[in-house]
Amino acid sequence: MSQIPDSKHMTATLGTRILGSVAVAAVLLMTLLGLVVSPEDLVQGHAVRMLYLHVPSIWIAYAAFVLTAASSVLFLIRSRSRADGGRHHDRLAGSAAEVGVLFAGITLVTGMLWGRVTWGTYWQWDARLTTTVLLFVTYLGYLALRRLPADPIVRGRRSAVMALISFVNVPIVHFSVDWWRTLHQKASLSVGRRPEITGEMYWTLLYSTLTVTVVASWLIVHRYRVIRLEELRDEEALNALIASRLREDDVGN
Amino acid sequence: MSDIAAVATGWGLTFVVVATYALWVVGRGKTIGRELGIGKRQELGPGSDSSTPASS
Repeated sequence: MSQIPDSKHMTATLGTRILGSVAVAAVLLMTLLGLVVSPEDLVQGHAVRMLYLHVPSIWIAYAAFVLTAASSVLFLIRSRSRADGGRHHDRLAGSAAEVGVLFAGITLVTGMLWGRVTWGTYWQWDARLTTTVLLFVTYLGYLALRRLPADPIVRGRRSAVMALISFVNVPIVHFSVDWWRTLHQKASLSVGRRPEITGEMYWTLLYSTLTVTVVASWLIVHRYRVIRLEELRDEEALNALIASRLREDDVGN
Repeated sequence: MSDIAAVATGWGLTFVVVATYALWVVGRGKTIGRELGIGKRQELGPGSDSSTPASS
């Protein structure tokens, strides 16, 4: 928790400024590694450089949706017992989901461009691609549900249930390449399996994943604070409306 | 589409989308914050109560 220093930097604190600076420097280095230092692939040529965006993006989307699901469970548990209705968890779920959707979209677009070069087509309705687009659409639905006008706690509970339903698809997307025969290759990096890539490509991929994680963390923190500002604005508007009605009643009496 | 064109488009779009979203988030925060005039009196860190003014 930290103090907002002035109205010019409404959602920034010293911590997020440092995180933001680290993110910008890390992205510059990631660009250098991904586009210049890392070698071409023998088969794919320069197209392999899409790997350094595509894989970290889906990793962040998964991580963000895990955070959304965990926060939603905590919100459902605590919304009945805590004085503030556990709204911190609801805000965290909403901010993480929005960033997750952003990176799921980037995964789809970079994958389509990569597919055009390596497969000769932007799109195939195979298991991995279809489940990924379904993931993207269901979380878009979740974000739309969050915008419906309702009591914040009621809306939070509905959204939390939607988040948990949407989350069922996350492991299906990840394991789709193992469960079904797909055009999509198997995971480049996975626990308990030798990586498909080595050397500079391997380290660039790991570094890119770390960089995208830092960028996404910065985005989630800022989005969280903006959601909180939106709630404050709504509360102040409601209080002003109630005060106005009470004054009207006093005049009428 | 050549492999270089695909890579340039992918990386370019990603930078534009992420930067636009980041600017939108920061801009929206500033706009709402100015509407509320709470820049100097409100804490906004995760975990704090939205209805509680800052103590300092």
